[in-house]
Amino acid sequence: MAKYLAKRIFYLVLTLFIVITVTFFLMKLLPGTPLTNQAKLSKSQIALIYEQYGLNKPVWQQYLLYLAGAVRGNFGTSFQFSDQPVSYLLSSRIGPSLQIGLQAMIFGVIIGIIVGSFGAMKQNTWVDTSATFVSILGISIPSFVLAVLLQYYLGLKLGWFPIAEWGGFIYTVLPTLALGATPLAESARFVRTEMVDVLSSDYIELAKAKGLSRTGVIYHHALRNSLIPLITIVGPLAVNIMTGSMVVENIFSIPGIGEQFVKSVLTNDYPTIMGLTIIYSFMLCVVLLFTDILYGIVDPRIRITGKAN
Amino acid sequence: MKINSAVKLGTVATFAAVLLAACGSSSSSSSEASKQTLNWMENSALPSMDLSTSTDVVSGETENNTNEGLLRFGKNSKTLPGVAKSYTKSKDGKTYTFNLRKSNWSNGDKVTAKDFVYAWQRTVNPKTASQYSYMYAQVKNANAIIAKKKPVSSLGVKAVGNYKLVVTLTQATSYFPALVASPMFFPQNQSVVQKYGKKYATNAASNVYNGPFKLTYWTGTSDNWTLSKNTKYWNAKNVKLKKINFKTMKDPQTSLSQYQSGKLDATYLSGQQPKNYKNSKQYVERKSASTFYIELNEKKDSMMKNKKARQALSLAINRNQFVNKVLADGSTAAKGLVSTGLASKNGKDFNTAAAVPSATTQDLTKAKKLWKQALKETGRKSYSLTLMADDTPAGKNSAEFIQSQWAKLDGLKVTNSNLPFKTRLARSQDGQFDAVISAWGADFPDPISFLSLFTSGNSYNNGKWASKSYDKYVKAASGKDANNADARWSDMVNAQKTILNDQGIIPVYQQGKAQLVKSNVKGLIYFPTGANWDFSSAYISK
Repeated sequence: MAKYLAKRIFYLVLTLFIVITVTFFLMKLLPGTPLTNQAKLSKSQIALIYEQYGLNKPVWQQYLLYLAGAVRGNFGTSFQFSDQPVSYLLSSRIGPSLQIGLQAMIFGVIIGIIVGSFGAMKQNTWVDTSATFVSILGISIPSFVLAVLLQYYLGLKLGWFPIAEWGGFIYTVLPTLALGATPLAESARFVRTEMVDVLSSDYIELAKAKGLSRTGVIYHHALRNSLIPLITIVGPLAVNIMTGSMVVENIFSIPGIGEQFVKSVLTNDYPTIMGLTIIYSFMLCVVLLFTDILYGIVDPRIRITGKAN
Repeated sequence: MKINSAVKLGTVATFAAVLLAACGSSSSSSSEASKQTLNWMENSALPSMDLSTSTDVVSGETENNTNEGLLRFGKNSKTLPGVAKSYTKSKDGKTYTFNLRKSNWSNGDKVTAKDFVYAWQRTVNPKTASQYSYMYAQVKNANAIIAKKKPVSSLGVKAVGNYKLVVTLTQATSYFPALVASPMFFPQNQSVVQKYGKKYATNAASNVYNGPFKLTYWTGTSDNWTLSKNTKYWNAKNVKLKKINFKTMKDPQTSLSQYQSGKLDATYLSGQQPKNYKNSKQYVERKSASTFYIELNEKKDSMMKNKKARQALSLAINRNQFVNKVLADGSTAAKGLVSTGLASKNGKDFNTAAAVPSATTQDLTKAKKLWKQALKETGRKSYSLTLMADDTPAGKNSAEFIQSQWAKLDGLKVTNSNLPFKTRLARSQDGQFDAVISAWGADFPDPISFLSLFTSGNSYNNGKWASKSYDKYVKAASGKDANNADARWSDMVNAQKTILNDQGIIPVYQQGKAQLVKSNVKGLIYFPTGANWDFSSAYISK
């Protein structure tokens, strides 16, 4: 296990290095300057300011300097938020994004499992039909449409939840629901299909024949075995939530990092683009690593160490 | 069993959430203190409070309310006394002497003439890398200092004692009082700047204020920030608001909902919203000092150099239809290069004096005739061009509308290219375009802020239109006539008439912002340039 982990972490670092390198050079191909007042500056004025920021150096030199800084934990200073270190900008804004993302994931997957299981257990009844309906709805309605609907009805009309802004758990409810719809629908669909399969397998029949209670059969045998494939979709779902959060954060005025991602590219804020790319790719790598490990734990047939003998 | 308890847990959580929501709304009931609280929205977060380096509107607006320069902008961009009680101008218009009042910083330090000298020197210091240092161009030696040719101490500003500031200019600059009312000319407290070093002005605490309000909450990256009344401000007795909560609303629908639910006292409208609320009593239109115009690349070919072709392109556009039916966001049809409402003389707006209706109105018959002639003169049967514009909703709307208008000219094929702002800018500056929709916002309330752009060889003159008489008028306005208000005014009027008569650019529209403001919010001061808002006399009526 330790060896496996070490190997995976080595690959993670390698991936990050490649991502940094590719992003850095691609980013330098962007037209325009990172200066916020670019429209009003002449070329000679821009050259003078570039000198101050070290942007007049050849790109490969800037790249090496960036790498050297990044290794020591210095990710540079943002251009949009002048004089704010990128590490501070991101660390002060990543909290809300993470919270919404995690809540949406947990809420979505848990409710999804419940909905899916009920659907499978009451196969071909109205329960099953409504479960399927919910999952089709969840997959086909984009999170930003749902966000606006929730905001209008639960926020403005009924006044149950705050329309927008940030502060306390109550503010996270609507964004969590909006973001959590896709994972809910996806996992419900997965669990239902899987469980229908499992419920008709021999070992379930055996368990029933042994006289186990219905909940015992469902919980110990059916549910557990149905969950294995669900883990495979957790990775893609996490990516889905990361991208979805960019829009949902805007709609609910959440002070997260989602919006920064688009804005930093549009404003050529080089250090922020780099910082965000590193964070997003790191999070994705960690999620993938986590699901791989989880796979091994849930299903002992899959040996992560690779020692089949 | 487990499933059952999960359901129970969910039900309990939902109830708890609803209960919490109810508590949340009841605790914000209006008490006496909260009555004088203004809840204001911005489209983007506050990125900087450093007077020397900040560049955006949100920073300017906040700084204008937390700090104060020698003078302040009042209604209609009129300059009023600020830290300076009064000032005198030398006969040649090159020396200004400001008499400062006794006033304090929010930490109790005295605001002195030295604070101005320090701030100004800091801004032009190349090490500060200020993107607005060019605003100091008229101050003696500023350009040489910015270009690293002279020491910072040679800047033409001297403190005589604690309460007298003498400024030397390279040439008479009639709009200099308007410049010193802008945030990049505000004083800075040297000991505070040095105490915090790199952290200076990066959050609410690492800064000091001398204006009507002080920043009491802002983490440097937060979407919300709060201003509270500055009791140390010299005119504090006339400041009625106790608190201003700024909230960043990135989505216009969210902002409108917050306004409707009473969480905001004002909101900007965009998209379809202005159309829906046009008849509301709370609807207000704010004119910005920014003009959108089309530049034609005269370096491209003989057609773009042909005056009749340029005029035809201008005459084909129905500007009123565009601003009323397509944009419908408070924008108005451009009456010239200079924005309306920016400057006036004897109560007459600049654009009334310098109007050339034929260059800013539609006449399709004439347009078609001129276009045909232009094609003939340049030996063409047809012509195709690409119209470049921003990829914002307004940019796309503009490009599509103009394309549809130009389609009425026989033998003209127009392709649209909508690009991200920075890309559009880079291509404009490198001359990689046929026609481009550009915009300019005035930095200070004087027509020269627009007119100086289109002198031949100016780096903002992307289309490379050139006129000797235009150059002559602009030069006279900032040179020999600079100290003669009447002559200068007529120079500028003539300059605008020249560029419009020759259709050096095609003015399209003047940007406006539609806004809803609660009817109990009174005393707001809006001005079209730079900082836009002054809340020092605002209050909430009962």
